[in-house]
Amino acid sequence: MRKLWIRLLLLALAAVYLIPFLFLVTSSLAPEGTALERPLSLPGSPRWSNYAEALEKLGAFDEESPLRGFLRLLFNTTLLTLLSILFQLITCSMAGYAFARLRFRGKGLLFVVVLATLMLPMPVTVIPQFVLYRELGWIDTFLPLLAPCLLGGSPFFIFLFRQFFLTIPRDLVEAARLDGCGWTGVFLRVFVPLSTPVAAAVAIFTFLSVWNEIWLPLIYLSSPEKGTLTLALAGFSRSYRVNIELLMAASTVALLPCLLVYAVFQRKFLQGIQLSAGKG
Amino acid sequence: MRRLAALLLLVVTLTSGAPAVATELRIMVFDPTSLPEAWSKLNDLARRFEAAHPGVTVKLLTEGGGVDPLTKLRILLAAGQPLDIAILDVLELSSFLEDGLLLDLDPWLENDPAWNEDDYFPVILDAFRGQDGHLYGLPSTFTPYVFYVNETLLAEVGLEKPGPGWTWDDLVAMARRCTRTTERGRVWGLSITQWLQALAPWIWQNGGSLLDPERGVATADSEDTIGAIHFLTRLFHDEKLAATDATFQSQLTRGEFQDGNVAFYGPVGYWEVYRFKEIRDFAWDVCPLPRGKEAATSIALRSYVGMARTEHPELTAEFLRILAGEEMSRTLARIGNGVPGHIAAARSEDFLKPHVPPESEQVFLDAVEYARFLPVHASWREIEHLVQKELQDCLVLGKIDAETACRSIQRKVNAFLQREREERERPLASLLLTVGGPLLAAALLLAGFLLLRGRRPSLLARSEERAAHALLILWGAGFLILTLGPMLVSLALSLTVYTSTTPLASARWAGLDNYARLLSDEDFWQALRVTTTFTLLSVPLSLALALLLSLLLHRGSTVLRTLFHVPSIMSLVALGILFRWILGTDPVEGFLGRKWIEAEEWIVPGFVLMSLWTVGGPMLVFLAGLQGIDPVLYEAARLDGASRVRQLVHVTLPQLGPVILFNLIMGVINAFQTFAQPYVMTGGGPGNASLFYVLYLYKTAFRFQDMGYACTLGWVLLGLLLLLTLVLLGRARGRVHYEGEAP
Repeated sequence: MRKLWIRLLLLALAAVYLIPFLFLVTSSLAPEGTALERPLSLPGSPRWSNYAEALEKLGAFDEESPLRGFLRLLFNTTLLTLLSILFQLITCSMAGYAFARLRFRGKGLLFVVVLATLMLPMPVTVIPQFVLYRELGWIDTFLPLLAPCLLGGSPFFIFLFRQFFLTIPRDLVEAARLDGCGWTGVFLRVFVPLSTPVAAAVAIFTFLSVWNEIWLPLIYLSSPEKGTLTLALAGFSRSYRVNIELLMAASTVALLPCLLVYAVFQRKFLQGIQLSAGKG
Repeated sequence: MRRLAALLLLVVTLTSGAPAVATELRIMVFDPTSLPEAWSKLNDLARRFEAAHPGVTVKLLTEGGGVDPLTKLRILLAAGQPLDIAILDVLELSSFLEDGLLLDLDPWLENDPAWNEDDYFPVILDAFRGQDGHLYGLPSTFTPYVFYVNETLLAEVGLEKPGPGWTWDDLVAMARRCTRTTERGRVWGLSITQWLQALAPWIWQNGGSLLDPERGVATADSEDTIGAIHFLTRLFHDEKLAATDATFQSQLTRGEFQDGNVAFYGPVGYWEVYRFKEIRDFAWDVCPLPRGKEAATSIALRSYVGMARTEHPELTAEFLRILAGEEMSRTLARIGNGVPGHIAAARSEDFLKPHVPPESEQVFLDAVEYARFLPVHASWREIEHLVQKELQDCLVLGKIDAETACRSIQRKVNAFLQREREERERPLASLLLTVGGPLLAAALLLAGFLLLRGRRPSLLARSEERAAHALLILWGAGFLILTLGPMLVSLALSLTVYTSTTPLASARWAGLDNYARLLSDEDFWQALRVTTTFTLLSVPLSLALALLLSLLLHRGSTVLRTLFHVPSIMSLVALGILFRWILGTDPVEGFLGRKWIEAEEWIVPGFVLMSLWTVGGPMLVFLAGLQGIDPVLYEAARLDGASRVRQLVHVTLPQLGPVILFNLIMGVINAFQTFAQPYVMTGGGPGNASLFYVLYLYKTAFRFQDMGYACTLGWVLLGLLLLLTLVLLGRARGRVHYEGEAP
């Protein structure tokens, strides 16, 4: 009886959560200027060409072939995302291991510093960073977006890795040590192979945040062919002469890869979080 | 011998460093998404230019990317990026000239046989002359402000489109006739635009002014200025003849005029033609503004400018001349971008477009006679931002009367002008302070850490420590270079006045004045109020919802779990776009009684509602926490005969303590940093009702280039969050129990 009650409540809530998506999809398929007329109902004849037009708008900077322009944005975003994931995994797993399993002086204090940077508001550092990258000649390259992933990494991911590594049994470490592994050897041979769940969680988190990032590309990328999808979408939305149907189609396009990645990897993702956060 | 070799090497490096690379002109003038036709033409011109000048390539940059084009341009220049040609609003001219950013075109145009001054409207060309009388830009398109009229509506009440010379009294009389309730709903006589350039004509027509550039003081409290604003409040609030839909933000949405519910819309520029060409349901045209004591209107103008830093001034000037030439001007006229500054193009059929509404394009050309530019001043954008709140409070919301608004504007603008004068007189802050200080502080912190971290460990432990150091090197380097260093520099900059287009050495010492400025900065307190209200509403509600969902979903299906989490993986940009639209629909308007974007008291609740849709993150953390609770505890509770509710209160919630605390702290921190949503959805309006803290900081830093004060705002935010976290942790002590800890 209680089960049914819960299920109904959940379904009702789920319906509420779905409404905005329904808005998104139905209006992205409506003929120009009609999205407002009958929201939430699929237009009689869905206008799929909205999507083709939206792609062309996003890639419009490429005069010869807007489609190539769009693919360029897609490529840039994918490249940035993959490199960011790689860098985050390297930096954060190393730091997480050190904090979880090695003894060194000042460890407690340094870990507090990591946790403290978790709450550091990004506007505090943005201006000096901007001046620094300018002096390095890095503006309008991907470097200002990638450097923070390799240098520093995300404190949250370091925390996730540490929590996960704490759960790996001591015996395993001892055995590897007896076999003659050094500390880095233990990390590479024992911890890295075991860390798939947490690595997957970090990878998905990074994917979502880099794919959707607006602040950094906004400031650092200026050549159109170096832009990202989200940046182009934001530009499209601020453009004065835009029609809502194309904008909704473009938003859907930008959302699809996230949905896809999430759908495929979500089990790993949930596993990773549970493994890490489960141990307060 | 060795010295000679070194000298040779030096010579070789220097010569090879000289520009052996192909000449490249970098141009940023149109955004491909907003003006596709102009973009094609631009490409065409660029390719032909390349063909005529072998060895030269023309590279086109876009303005796009969410920021307004000017902020983008400012960022490019601040970044020291190569750029030769840009497009500039006349309002920005003096600020760019003051910073020495623009190329003097006179020496180059003089030698260009194809250049002829007389091709352009003299008023328009002269607008881009500096105080030295030299030309710094060539006109693209301009537009005087006019009225758009719905001729069908006028005809319904037996009126005709007014002609030149009509007056304020005529306007009121006609608006009264048109304002009524029909079977279609409410019909308005007027919809009046409310940004500064659009309001200036009323003030000028009444013989008033906004500021006196000669003396550098505001003149907003003069009788004529107050009289003009009073006239408008009469239209809005006393007679209720004017719809309030034409605020600047709502230009992005469909307005009442397009829906056929307004007889007169304006003052506004030519650009609306592009939007209104879709109108099928009624006949429309343009007409001149009515005259008050005198005839007057404003002009908006964008010109092509060359950058002073260009390495190819001659090529730059030549390409500028081509951009402002007849061919490009006619293209822009054809697509409805504005009135060409090029006379032949403006008189061509490409602009006049017979048989395409509006029929009276001539109105724009005639208005040039009595049109004026806003007085030349370096900081129009700051001033516009300063007075926006008063104007919206007075005109849209009717909270204050014209006189109060004007006196408040007068006070704020004068204080701003005064501060600007003082800032110029401040002494330069040396690099020792802005860079040396932070470096020293970082070195001291590092040394302190190394000294205080304890005794040297034993030989065995030393190898472990070396391994730790190696593994932490990437994190440590990043922390020092990208976090700690910038934080300290930011602290140093918060003691200065600094504009980012200039090198760090040009920062001026301000001491604690930036911090003192906070006290009297109304926008700062407003931003704090908005952000705090949002946080107080949004964090508890989202946490409660996340907790409820996780309790319901615990052991439930993953499909549902995914469903509730999906909104959180969407980009805030797309989410903002979607919600801006949803909150702007008719049912919401029906419920609120007006448009969400105009309903001051509903703005923040709107954002709270949106935040409830993205509780996926905390929900997952709660779910993970639930998974971690030892089933034995429930077992024990059941044996003790505890009901489900009691189990929840006595087992689940205490066990979740640390997780709740974590979510609470992160929730507060994130809520305080809300940026993308208001940026995409409201831009801070109406008035300053959604001026979130980080949005204000962003505007201060990147729009107004007030980097020093922005750093101050950043540090205040850091201090606040630190304080809040400590308070929360302190309150939680003794209430939150960690696993393995004795309760």
